[in-house]
Amino acid sequence: MTGSSSKGGNNSYDYSFKILLIGDSGVGKSSILLSFISNSVHDLSPTVGVDFKIKMVNVGGKRLKLTIWDTAGQERFGTLMSSYYRGAHGIILVYDVTRRETFTNLSDIWAKEVELYSTNQDCIKVLIGNKVDKDSERAVSREEGMALAEEHKCSFLECSAKTRENVLQCFKELIVKILEVPSLLEKGPVIIKQQILKQKPGYQAPHNGGCCS
Amino acid sequence: MKALRRSHTSSSSSNSSSPSFSSSGSSSWIHLRSVLLIVNSSSAASCSSSDRGHLKSPWSRRIKKHALTPRQWRRLFTSDGKLHDGGVKFLKKVRSVGVDPSIRAEVWPFLLGVYDLNSSKEERDTIRTQKRKEYEKLRRQCRLLLKHSNESFKLNESSKPSINIDSGSLVQYTDSSSFEDVVSARESLSSEERSPDVEYSDDPCITLLEGDDSSRQKTTNTDASALNTESSDSDSSEDPEAVIQASSSSEGQEKNERDEPSKEFISPSRTELHLSAPAAENFATWQRIIRVDAVRDNSEWIPYFQSYASVSEDRACCSAEAVGLKDYEHLEPCQIFHAARLVAILEAYALYDPEIGYCQGMSDLLSPIVTVITEDHEAFWCFVGFMKKARHNFRLDEVGIRRQLNIVSKIIKCKDSHLFRHLEKLQAEDCFFVYRMVVVLFRRELTFEQTTCLWEVMWADQAAIRAGIGKSAWSRIRQRAPPTDDLLLYAIAASVLQRRKLIIEKYNSMDEILRECNSMAGQLNVWKLLDDAHDLVVNLHDKIEASF
Repeated sequence: MTGSSSKGGNNSYDYSFKILLIGDSGVGKSSILLSFISNSVHDLSPTVGVDFKIKMVNVGGKRLKLTIWDTAGQERFGTLMSSYYRGAHGIILVYDVTRRETFTNLSDIWAKEVELYSTNQDCIKVLIGNKVDKDSERAVSREEGMALAEEHKCSFLECSAKTRENVLQCFKELIVKILEVPSLLEKGPVIIKQQILKQKPGYQAPHNGGCCS
Repeated sequence: MKALRRSHTSSSSSNSSSPSFSSSGSSSWIHLRSVLLIVNSSSAASCSSSDRGHLKSPWSRRIKKHALTPRQWRRLFTSDGKLHDGGVKFLKKVRSVGVDPSIRAEVWPFLLGVYDLNSSKEERDTIRTQKRKEYEKLRRQCRLLLKHSNESFKLNESSKPSINIDSGSLVQYTDSSSFEDVVSARESLSSEERSPDVEYSDDPCITLLEGDDSSRQKTTNTDASALNTESSDSDSSEDPEAVIQASSSSEGQEKNERDEPSKEFISPSRTELHLSAPAAENFATWQRIIRVDAVRDNSEWIPYFQSYASVSEDRACCSAEAVGLKDYEHLEPCQIFHAARLVAILEAYALYDPEIGYCQGMSDLLSPIVTVITEDHEAFWCFVGFMKKARHNFRLDEVGIRRQLNIVSKIIKCKDSHLFRHLEKLQAEDCFFVYRMVVVLFRRELTFEQTTCLWEVMWADQAAIRAGIGKSAWSRIRQRAPPTDDLLLYAIAASVLQRRKLIIEKYNSMDEILRECNSMAGQLNVWKLLDDAHDLVVNLHDKIEASF
C-alpha cells in the first residue's frame, strides 16, 4: 500500500514509505539503521545482499510505517540489487567523513545509480556524513558536504551512528520532506507498474493445492 | 530473468485486497489463512511420510556414529602415506558424520583439493613447499602494490583524492629503495615468522624486479596501463561489457546452465597476468574494501582457535602494520591478528584470481578457514580450493548467483507445488530471498561449528565428484544419495521448506519471506538440515540435474 492509508488493527498507519540507505562499504549504513531502530550500537559484519527493518513513527500528527532498506556497499551485484531502488520515497546517501573516497564515490557512482534506477521522479534525497565522532580524523569538511548536497539538490546533515548524534534528525528531515510532496503520498508509479505485471492468472483456490507431484 | 527484476516496494502486496504488513490483517485474509491451514497440514503430512518411507538418509544414523576421529583418520593411510582405496572410505565417512575438530587442519586440504586423494606423503611435501613459495610470491606482489597505492594516494590527496593509480607513480615506485622497505616489512609479517627456510633468491618475481632496468621498466609499464584502463572505467557507474554479458547470458541461459559447473569454471589467470580484471573495480579498490571488512569480521571464532589467546598486543599490531590495516584500535589483540591474516590472504587471492578480485562476503568464507588452519599459505590454498566453486557467487555478470537461485526455485517447485504457487503469487518464485544464504553459503545463518559441519559434508561431496567417485561407486557401497555439487542448494531449499507453513499462512509479500530468511540465525539444526537436504537429493537429484 505504498503511500496510501491503512486503518484498523494495531499496525495501522497513514502512510508507508520506502527508504534506502546507500553508499560505500563501511561508511556505516547498517550502523545508522541499527542506531535509529534499536538505540544500540555495536560492530556489524558487512551487509551481504539486502536487508530491511520496519519502524513505525509519528511525524506531524501522521502515523508512518517506514521500511528502511540496507544494501551492500560494494556495487558488484548491481543488476540484482538495482531492483531495490524502485519505488523508493526517500534515499539516504551516506559517506564517511574520515574517508574521502567514500565522499567522491557518492557523486561518481552512487548518485548515478540512483538516477538510473530510482523510479519515483520526486524521490527525496538526503546526504549524510557519518562518523563525526572521529573529528580528529576528518577528511571531508562540512562545507564540502553542503556544497555536494546543493549540487544534488538535497538536504545535508552530519551524524554519528556511534554516539547517535543527529541520527534521528536524518530520518526526520527526510520524512518531513517526503510528506511535503503530494505525488509521493499518492499511489506511486510502482503500484501501477506492479498491477500491469500482475496479468498472470490469479491465485488458485486453495483446494487445488496439492503437494509432491 | 524478468522475475529477478523486482518491482516490489517494501510494503506493497501482490494481493491488493489484503494489507501488506499485518499478520493479523483483514477478515478476508484470516479466512484465507484458515483454509490454507487445513490444506497445509494434510499435504505436509503426506509429503514427509512418503519421503521417509522409501529412502533413508545416511545421516539419520549420525547420533550413533561420531565424527571422523584422529585415530580413524590415521588408519585411513597406507604405510607410504596414501589414502586407502583412493579416499572412497574417507569421503564416505566425512559426508555422513563430519570431521573431529582436532584434525580439521589436516583433513581440509584433502577435502578442498589442495592435495590429491591419491597422493603420497612425499608428493604432498613437495606440493606444500611449492605452494608455499607461490603464496609468498603473491604476498610480495601485494605489498609492492599496497606501497605503491599508498604513495599514489598521498600524491593525489590534495588535488584529486581518488585511489586511481597513475603510471607516473608506478615507475617511481620501482625504485630499489622501496623494494628494500618491502622486504623488511615482509619479515615482520606474522605468518612468515614460522617459515625460516624461505628462499628469496630462486623466486622469479624477485629476479624480474632485480633484473636490468629496461626489463623492469617494461613490466611496470604493462601493469600501469592495465591499472589505468581500470581506473578510468571506475568513473562510469555501468560497465558496458558487464551489461552485455548479463543480457546475453539471460537469453542463452538454459544452454549455459546445462553445463557442468566444472566446465563453467575458468581457471584463474596466472599471477603474471594479474590486474587484467574487466571490472569497474581495480586492485586498489579491493585493497581498501578488504581492510574495511577484515576489521569487522564477527568474533565468534575466537573460542575455536586457542593459540590466538597467546597473541601479544605487540605481535598483533606488528602483523597489522605489515599488511597496512587501519582502524583496529578497538579490537582485541587476537582479533587484530586474525584481521591481518584475512587481509593478507584475501589480497593474495585478489591477485591470484583477478577476474573475481575481492567481493564482500568472501571474508565470511575465509574466516573459518583461517581459524582452523594456522599457516597462512595453507589457509590460502584451502581458500583457493573452496573458491573454485564459490567464486561463481561473486562473478560480476551474476550468472553464478542466477543459476543457483534457479536451482533452489526448481527444487521447491518439484518438491512442493503448493508452496511454489504461493511464491508465484507473491512474485517471489525466483527465490531471491535466499540470496544471502547462497552467496556466503549459510555462514550468516549458522554458528561457526554448524557452518564447518555443513561445509565439510558439502566439500566431501564435491571432492567425490572431482575424484570421479560417481554414482556407481556409491550404489556399490549401498549409499543411495549420489554426491552432488549443489548440496548447499538442497540445504537452502530444505530450510525454506521447513518454513512452508509459516510462509504460506502468514507471509504475503516477498519482503516478509526475505526477512524470515535473513533472521534464521540460531534457528537451524544443521544435521536436520542435512537430513532434509539429503532427502531432497535422493528424490529430486535426477530431475534437477536433467533440467540444468
